[in-house]
Amino acid sequence: MSILSSTYEAGDFFDEMVGDDGQVRPHYRRLTERLATLPEAEFAQRRAAVDLAFLSRGVTFTVYGDNEGTERIFPFDLIPRIIPNTEWKGIEAGLAQRITALNLFLHDIYHEQKILADKVVPASLVLGAKNFRREFMNFNVPKGIYVHICGTDLIRDRDGRYLVLEDNLRCPSGASYMIENRAAMRRAFPNLFQSYRVRQVEGYADALLKSLLYLAPSRRDSHPNVVLLTPGVYNSAYFEHCFLARQMGIPIVEGRDLFVRDNRVYMRTTAGPVQVDVIYRRIDDDFLDPSVFRPDSMLGVPGLVNAYREGRVALANAIGTGVADDKVIYAYVPKIIKYYLDQEPLLPNVNTYLASEASDRKFILENISKLVVKSANEAGGYGMLIGPSATKDECDKFRAMVAANPRNFIAQDPISLSRSPTWCEGQLEGRHIDLRPYILYGEKIVVTPGGLTRVALRKGSLVVNSSQGGGSKDTWVLQGNE
Amino acid sequence: MPSVAPMFRPQSTVMLSRVAHSLYWMSRYIERAENIARLLEVNLQFLLDFQGIDDDSVKDHWGSIIASSGGGELFAQHYDVADSRSATSFLAFDLRNPSSILSCVYAARENARMVRDQISLEMWETINELYLFLKARNAAVVWAAGANEFFERIKQHSHLFQGLTDSTFSRSEGWEFIQFGKFLERADKTTRILDVKYHILLPNADDVGGALDTAQWQAVLRSASALEAYRRFYVREILSWKAAEFLIFSDTFPRSLHYCVAQVNDLLRRILGETGARPRSEAARISRRLFADLESRSIPDVLKQGLHEFLMEVQNALDRIGDEVVQTTMFYPVDTASDDHQQLQQQQQQQQ
Amino acid sequence: MLLRVVHRTTFVYSGPVRDSFNEVRLRPVDDDRQRCNRFDLRVTPLRAEPRDYEDYYGNRVYYFDVPESHEELVIETDSEVQTLANLDRPSIPLIPTGPNAKPPALELHAEYLAESHYVPLAFELWREVQDVFAATPRSDLWSDAVALGNHVYKTFAYRPNTTGVNTIATDALKQRMGVCQDFAHVMLGLCRQAGIAARYVSGYFFNDLRRPDEIEASHAWVEVLIPEFGWVGYDPTHARIADERYVKIAAGRDYSDIRPISGTYRGAPTRDLRVEVSVREITPATS
Repeated sequence: MSILSSTYEAGDFFDEMVGDDGQVRPHYRRLTERLATLPEAEFAQRRAAVDLAFLSRGVTFTVYGDNEGTERIFPFDLIPRIIPNTEWKGIEAGLAQRITALNLFLHDIYHEQKILADKVVPASLVLGAKNFRREFMNFNVPKGIYVHICGTDLIRDRDGRYLVLEDNLRCPSGASYMIENRAAMRRAFPNLFQSYRVRQVEGYADALLKSLLYLAPSRRDSHPNVVLLTPGVYNSAYFEHCFLARQMGIPIVEGRDLFVRDNRVYMRTTAGPVQVDVIYRRIDDDFLDPSVFRPDSMLGVPGLVNAYREGRVALANAIGTGVADDKVIYAYVPKIIKYYLDQEPLLPNVNTYLASEASDRKFILENISKLVVKSANEAGGYGMLIGPSATKDECDKFRAMVAANPRNFIAQDPISLSRSPTWCEGQLEGRHIDLRPYILYGEKIVVTPGGLTRVALRKGSLVVNSSQGGGSKDTWVLQGNE
Repeated sequence: MPSVAPMFRPQSTVMLSRVAHSLYWMSRYIERAENIARLLEVNLQFLLDFQGIDDDSVKDHWGSIIASSGGGELFAQHYDVADSRSATSFLAFDLRNPSSILSCVYAARENARMVRDQISLEMWETINELYLFLKARNAAVVWAAGANEFFERIKQHSHLFQGLTDSTFSRSEGWEFIQFGKFLERADKTTRILDVKYHILLPNADDVGGALDTAQWQAVLRSASALEAYRRFYVREILSWKAAEFLIFSDTFPRSLHYCVAQVNDLLRRILGETGARPRSEAARISRRLFADLESRSIPDVLKQGLHEFLMEVQNALDRIGDEVVQTTMFYPVDTASDDHQQLQQQQQQQQ
Repeated sequence: MLLRVVHRTTFVYSGPVRDSFNEVRLRPVDDDRQRCNRFDLRVTPLRAEPRDYEDYYGNRVYYFDVPESHEELVIETDSEVQTLANLDRPSIPLIPTGPNAKPPALELHAEYLAESHYVPLAFELWREVQDVFAATPRSDLWSDAVALGNHVYKTFAYRPNTTGVNTIATDALKQRMGVCQDFAHVMLGLCRQAGIAARYVSGYFFNDLRRPDEIEASHAWVEVLIPEFGWVGYDPTHARIADERYVKIAAGRDYSDIRPISGTYRGAPTRDLRVEVSVREITPATS
C-alpha cells in the first residue's frame, strides 16, 4: 500500500495540497505522484533514517522545566510544504517592505519621534513599552540599521491569504532547522529534488556572515573579527548557536570569554587578547552589560555598552529593537508602513484588538471566549489564551488580567491556519502550519527562499511552538510555479 | 538540479581560553576516573586473594589508598570504617568526594558539554554513554553484579575515548591541551599509586620480600597497568626497588613518570611557544628541571632521599606546572583576582 | 546666585577590586533657570579621561572604567553654576483642574504619568490623593501639586537611616518617614495618581542658614509639568518651590534614571562609602 490513500480530507480549511475543488494543486502534483508509488514500509524506513540522523547530528533543542535540561529532537515531518514562485515573490516583497518600515520606525523613535508627534502611533505605547531603551536615545547605530536579522511569522487564512502573525526582531531562532531540514530531505528523497527545481536555503549562513561583516567598524590593522555570543550550553537554542557559528566559521563565545579595555572588546584566547569587531548576540538586551542593564546578569560583558557607544564594536541586532516587536506595536505596523513608505502593506496583519483602547477593551472582555488573547511581551506561545478551546476558568483568569493591565494585552480573531498533509500514525492527515521566513538586512535586504514551516502535530491544535507539541517541515520554494 | 556548493572556510585560528580550559579538564577527569577505577579494582582483588588478612590490616590498606588519593579527611567525616565496601562507595560513587569516579565522569561530561561543538560526535557519545552507565548504578548494584565488569567498563570507555580522540580530533592547539591534561594527570596518578605502598604498614620486617610484600608490589604494578610490561622488561621476580624504578624511570612505558613528564615537557614547548634554549615561563622552568632530574637520577638516589619525599616533590612540581599553564593561557596578568568574584554594584542614596 | 559645588565620593573596598565600569550623572544642567559655567570631574585612579553622552532626559552622563586592581575609588566634581531667582521668571499659569475641567493633553509625556521602578501606581497612593483633595478641593494644576507636596511634608518625618537607596515609594509611605529621596518618590506617586505629570530631580541645595557643623549632601526634589509653560520644581522635604538656591544635576522618571553614580566591579565588597558635599555662594569678594 502506498502512503497516499484516497481518504485524505482537506476539511473546511485552506489546504496547501488540495484545492476546494478536490483536485491536487499543480505545484503538489509531482509530489503526490511520487508518494503514490512509495510503499509505506519504505516511507517508514526513510523516516527512521532521518530521525536517527537528527539525533546523531545533535539537532536538538532543550526543554525547560526540568533541571537537567532535557534535549529533544524537533519532530520532523517528511512531507514538504511547497510554495510556487509567484506566491513567494509576493511574500518576499511584503517582508522587505516590512523590515524597511520597521527600521525607519526604530530610527525615528530613537531620534526625532516624528511618528509620535504626528500621533500615528500613540506616544504612551512606545514610551511605556518594556523594551523601549531610553539609554540609546539619539544613538546612531552602525550603518543606521537596527534589525539585521528578522524572523516574521506568517499564517494563511481560509482563502489562502498570507497574513503576518508577529515579527521577531530581537533574537529570532530556527534558521538552523531550516538548513538541517533541507539536508534531511535531500538524503531522504534525492530524486524528488531532481524533478522539482527547489531554491536553495544553504546560502543563509553566507548571507548572514556578509551582513555581519558589513557592520564592522573599520580598523587599519586587521580583518574584522565576528563572534556569536551565546548564553551558554543550557540555552534552548544552543544547538543553533553552534550550528550557525560553525557554518560561518566564527568563534562561539560566552560573556566570560569577552572583556572590555579602553572601550574595545576582546576575547580571551590562549594566545592572548584578540579584538572583536562584530557581535552576533543571541542574548537579550537586559543581559548584555551588567553595568548598564541588569546588574545581576552573569551572561553579559561589563563595559560592552560603552564600547558600543564608542562605535568600537557592532551588535546585531542593535539594542532596543524589542520595542518594535511588542504585540501592541504590531497592531500599528500597517500604519507604520503607510507613514514611512507611503505604501499599502503588501502583507496584511491579522485583525487585532488593543486592550489599551477603551472600545476594543470592552469588546475583548465581552467576547474573550471567541478570541485569541496574547500578552504583549511573551514569546513561544506562553502567556496566550485561545478562547474557543479554553475553559471558563481560563477565560475568567485572562479577563481579570486584561482588565488589570490593558497595556499588556491584545486580542485577535482566531485564524484557522492553513493545513498541510502530515504523516500521522500511519496515514496522511491535514495539520495546521505556519511559516517563519528569515530576512537579513545588510548592504541589501536578503530573504532566504524558504524558511521554517512549523506544524501543530496534535490533531486540531493551532499551536505550532516546539515547546508545545509542534514539529517542522522542509519548505520548498520553487524556481517555477509547479 | 543545482548542486549544493559546499562551504569551505578556513577554520578560525584563535582558540578561546575557555575552550582550552574545558578540553584540558575533560581530558584530566577521564584519565583520573580510569586510574581510580584501576586502583579500586586491583586492591579489591588483592584483598580477596589474601582472605586471611585481619580487619585492622584491611582498614590500613584502604586507609592508605584513600589517603594517597587526597581524600583522607573527607572520608573520615562521612564513613566509620574503611573496608572494601565503604572504600568502593567513597571512591566510586560518592559525589561528596570530588575525586570519586562518578564526580570525575560528571565533571568530564560537563566540560565536554561546554565544548561540544569543538569535539567529535564520537568523543561526546563515549563520555555521555559512560555518564549514563554510571548514573544508573550504585555501590550495592555493583557489588551484586560483580565489580569486575563494572571497572572493566570504565576503563574500556576511557580507552575508547582516548582512541577516538586520537582518530577523530584534529591535531590543533586543542589536541595539545587534551594531551597535556592527560599526561599531567597520569604522571600525578603514578606518583600516588607508588605512594600507596609507602603508606601500607608491614606487620614486621620479615615480610619484606615475602609473599605479602610481593603481592602488594604486584598490585602496585597492576594499578598502573604495568605488570606485564615490567615482566617483559625484567623477566624475573618482582623486587620492590625494581618495580619502583620501572614506574619512575622507564623511558618507554607510557605510564612511567619519566615518560609522562617527557610528554608534558614537549607539549609545554608547543602550548607556551617555549622554543628557546632557556625557558621563559615558570611552567617550562619547573618542567625542564623535573625532566632533567628524571633523566639524571637513579633509583638508589631516590631511595636515599626517601621514596615518599621524592614523590611529594614530584607531585608538587606537577601541580605547579598545571597551575602555571592555566594561569598563562587562560587568564591574563590583569586577572589577578579570581574570576568567580561576583559583580558588585555601587550607588548611593540621596539624602539631605 | 553664583554657586560653587564640590562633591567628593570615596569608595573604600575591603580588598582589591578591578574591572570597575561606572556612569556618573553629576554635571549641573543648563536650562532656563540655571547655567553651568564650569564643571570638572576627577576620578582617582584614572587611566583615560571619562567620556560622555547626553541621555534620554537630556542629562549629561560621563562614563569611565578602572580595569586594574585598586582598593579605593574617588570621584570628585567641582562646578560653578549661575542660578536665576524665581522673581526673574514668568509666573506660573493657572490651568484649571476643577470637576468640569478638560484634562490637558499629556500624550508625549506619558512616561511621567506611568508607573516606574520606584513609583508603583499603588492603591495606597491613590487613596492618599483622594484624602488630600477631599480636604483641599482641586483648583489648578500647580496648586494641586503644591497641595500634594505639602501633604507629604506635613505627614512625613525626616529621618535619615530609616530607608535605603532601594526603598520604593509605597514602602516609604507605610512608615511615613525617610529622606529627600523618599519624599520625592512619594510626591511623584501622588501626582501621577492625580494625573499630574511629574519627574524626579537630583541636585544640591545651598543652605544659607547652615550651622557650621551641619553635614551637606546631595538633594532631591520634584518637577511638575505645567503644559505649554514647562517644568516647575517643588521640594516636598522643605515645602517650597525650588528657587535660586537649588542646583539641578539630572531629571528622570525616578531615582533609577538619574543615579548620580552607578556601576559594577569585581572583587571585595565596599567597606566604606564617604560622601562630602559643599555648596557655597561665590560673592564678588570671594571670586
